[in-house]
Amino acid sequence: MKADTLRLLSTKGSRQGMWLLPLLIALGLAIWLSVQTQQFLNAGNLLNLVAQGMPLIITAIGQMFVILIGGLDLSVGSVISFTTAVLALDGPGIVLIPGVFVLAALIGLCNGVIITRFNVHPIIATLSMQYVLLGITRVLRPVSGGTVPDVVIASVSGSFLGVPLPVFWGIATIAVAWKLLYGSRFGLHLFAIGGGVASGTEDAAHNFGIRDRRNIVLAYVICSCFAALAGVFLAGRIVSGDPNVGLLFELDAITAVAIGGTQLSGGVGSLHGTVVGALVMALLANGMNLANVSPFIQTMIKGAILLLVVSLQSRKKMGL
Amino acid sequence: MRLLTKSIAAAILATTMLCGPSFAEDVFLLDGVTAREGDNPTVEAGKYKKDGPWVIGMSHFGVNANTWTVQVAHETEAAAAKDPRISKLILLDAGFDQKKQVADIEDLIAQKVDAIIVQPVTSTSADASIAKAVAAGIPVVLHTGRIESDAYTTEIQGGAEHFGKVMGDYLVEQLGGKGNIWVLRGLAGHPEDTNRYNGLKQSLEGKDITIIAEEHGDWQYDKAKKLCETLYLNNPQVDGIWSSGADMTRACVDVFKQFGAPIPPITGEGNNGFFGQWIADGFKSISAEYSPAQGAAGIRAAVALLEGKELKKHYDYNPAGWDVEKAKKYYRDDLSANVWWPSELPEEKLKELYGKN
Repeated sequence: MKADTLRLLSTKGSRQGMWLLPLLIALGLAIWLSVQTQQFLNAGNLLNLVAQGMPLIITAIGQMFVILIGGLDLSVGSVISFTTAVLALDGPGIVLIPGVFVLAALIGLCNGVIITRFNVHPIIATLSMQYVLLGITRVLRPVSGGTVPDVVIASVSGSFLGVPLPVFWGIATIAVAWKLLYGSRFGLHLFAIGGGVASGTEDAAHNFGIRDRRNIVLAYVICSCFAALAGVFLAGRIVSGDPNVGLLFELDAITAVAIGGTQLSGGVGSLHGTVVGALVMALLANGMNLANVSPFIQTMIKGAILLLVVSLQSRKKMGL
Repeated sequence: MRLLTKSIAAAILATTMLCGPSFAEDVFLLDGVTAREGDNPTVEAGKYKKDGPWVIGMSHFGVNANTWTVQVAHETEAAAAKDPRISKLILLDAGFDQKKQVADIEDLIAQKVDAIIVQPVTSTSADASIAKAVAAGIPVVLHTGRIESDAYTTEIQGGAEHFGKVMGDYLVEQLGGKGNIWVLRGLAGHPEDTNRYNGLKQSLEGKDITIIAEEHGDWQYDKAKKLCETLYLNNPQVDGIWSSGADMTRACVDVFKQFGAPIPPITGEGNNGFFGQWIADGFKSISAEYSPAQGAAGIRAAVALLEGKELKKHYDYNPAGWDVEKAKKYYRDDLSANVWWPSELPEEKLKELYGKN
């Protein structure tokens, strides 16, 4: 293993955050489920798990980019709903699919510009964007329905060389994010900007010659585009557009990022931690269904486990 | 000869009862549920016949959304517990989340349940998963929500348009076909809200009735109370109120009482709290029926399929509205406002879940 990779995977004193703990919890959950239920290790169920967890993995990765710079994007849920609504406009896929990414990039651009140029707090800016988008989505599609391009449906439900297609979505998303975060100067700058924000010296990166505003805007654009990608995946899963499909998804994504050891104050976090955080949440949902846990107490258990995971990490390190 | 004829007839009857297919009319689903007229295919007898014990899965659209949805879950559980051939009911809660419903149904298929009951979150939410379940040989019973696909096995549908129209027709009659009304709607974007509203619009067609205010109270008491206070303070001159849900009706009635104003004709539904208020205050109203016991009907339909009985593909549940006299027969002062009528919950369960003491 190359030294760089070893450095990225280490947790001790690094900027990668505490991602080993959630990994151990994910493994523990998986072992418990495979002992408790006969169906967990069934190939069909593992495929279900990948497909069910994929939208959250994609959205959480996007969210991680803005959290790393000390920001937050509450509009990703609305971007997802908006994307499914646009895709279900019954138009040609060749126009609609690139179209949703262009629109998502514009949304991210607006978020970034409002935050950097007008000095609006990220929570307020993206919350406002969430409401605006929700309204537009409900005008476009008041109730769920419409026709999603066949290529979108086929891309999430089929398989290639015997491997289910959602697996390729995961590999491609992680590869792109890995390149952006660890294989480019942009990724390094994100850690620098976030580190400054976390230590109370927001101009630190700027003073070292990093074009912080441009990078912050770019982080919001990337976050929106990942949300749009999750929206495309979900549109294929639900075979329709739905104005409410992304509701509260932003909170799940932030939770997944936090569980994965990324500091909400910025500067510390990792891609692999985020993926593990999202997997913990997917395992919880799938596992409680398989373990036949009553719906009356499922949410309670989910809340308790999330609290436990976050409590095991110190508040200072979490940025909470 | 007569004896011979009688013997043959008795033998045919016995054979039919013991071995032959059971016809759709034999299956009791719920009071007021009838097979849809017109083109209505038959689910052939024996197609899903399976020896017990059975595991039945259910994807509920949202257990904890309000007291009605909670009671649907309880009615389903009670009906399943009553049948000793059902070894397990796996009840999953989609929490009004379309993507979770897709995942829930996939999980039920992975668990190889014998039948799946689905309350769809939206008209398209469960289509793909339902098709997967049927392809896996699992019968799917649909209720309290239509879907665009016809991949399911059988459905029992209380029409939301019918619900809205029963209330709309009542207001049209009370207002003599003209006047101004407020419209209190449910959750924006939810198909039940849209379809109930469409039922109202059908009632108002060609009538001289104007909707002077239309707001979404999300079927919640608190939100509707604020809305009604604002509407009343803006313009108290209203001839009738169409409310999409009983909690919103109770809230609006309380607002009129708070201002000491006469309560205009207002629509309601089969909720114990609303019934108590209606009986005590004597205002003009109607109760549209939408029983939570549709949950029990879903279990009965699933059992019928597993028994190998013949069912129709489509069943409708379009009961007439209730007047206050019928409401009095159901109202229980010893139970909380959270019970919905008609219910099939056993007495001890009603007291356990909803008893005031």
